[in-house]
Amino acid sequence: MSRFSFDVSASGGAQDEDDRILPLINVVFLLLIFFMIVGSVSQVDPFDIEPPASDARETVGDDAVVVHVDAGGRLSVDGHVLDLAQLASGLSARLGRGGMVHIKADQGVEAIRVVAVLETLRGAGVQQVRLLTVQRPA
Amino acid sequence: MTPGFTSTPSPLPVERPRSRSFVSLTPLIDVVFILLVFFMLASSFLDWRAIELAAPQSGTTASSAEGALLVEVRADGTLRLSGEALDMGALASRVSRRLAQRPDQAIVLEPQAGVALQAAVDVLDRLVALGAKDVSLIRDSPQ
Repeated sequence: MSRFSFDVSASGGAQDEDDRILPLINVVFLLLIFFMIVGSVSQVDPFDIEPPASDARETVGDDAVVVHVDAGGRLSVDGHVLDLAQLASGLSARLGRGGMVHIKADQGVEAIRVVAVLETLRGAGVQQVRLLTVQRPA
Repeated sequence: MTPGFTSTPSPLPVERPRSRSFVSLTPLIDVVFILLVFFMLASSFLDWRAIELAAPQSGTTASSAEGALLVEVRADGTLRLSGEALDMGALASRVSRRLAQRPDQAIVLEPQAGVALQAAVDVLDRLVALGAKDVSLIRDSPQ
């Protein structure tokens, strides 16, 4: 009699455990799908860049070469750190058909540094240059 | 006692967990957790917005930009419109009056040394909000 009751409670316990873990798996799956769909997996930037905020409404495609400018004014393209003189030659090899360049600059960098990058890009024959910003917090 | 025993449905609940534990859930949960952590760390939710940077032809300086309004952003936070010190509100009313007369008025934004990009973007935003279509960035004189 005692063994019989033990068996029943043991099997019921195992079932309960499965039933308790199934909602967890459901939630974790939903989170996984959420992050896979909503989040865009991005290349890790070589510098820690805090982008400036703006009211611009134009959204960004990902078909451009990105020039990173960090708060100290250092430049990088595709993970390679460059100086201003190397930028023009380094870019011409990477520019595709569109010839579009995005500048991802830190909000604390000197604005004239960005203008200098802009002038260099113009000198290298880049047609379209865009400054990447984030939406200003409401 | 014995006939009562055999009529109870005791064999069923004893056998069910054995068939259920055929596929173990633990490795599945491990893998899903690892995938979840990967996507949480690797995804970014920044809402990127682009500002079109229209630069005048390289080599253009403030003095040679014909007919354009020159807006200087100075390191101490003040603004100058064609050499005259103004605050943001006065600048906005001047520029909007000018834009009412000439909607395609070119504006040249010249940040001085020491001005952070965010300050320049703030002024640029304000000018674009006033309806300026041709705003370009220049610097004083390339060293």
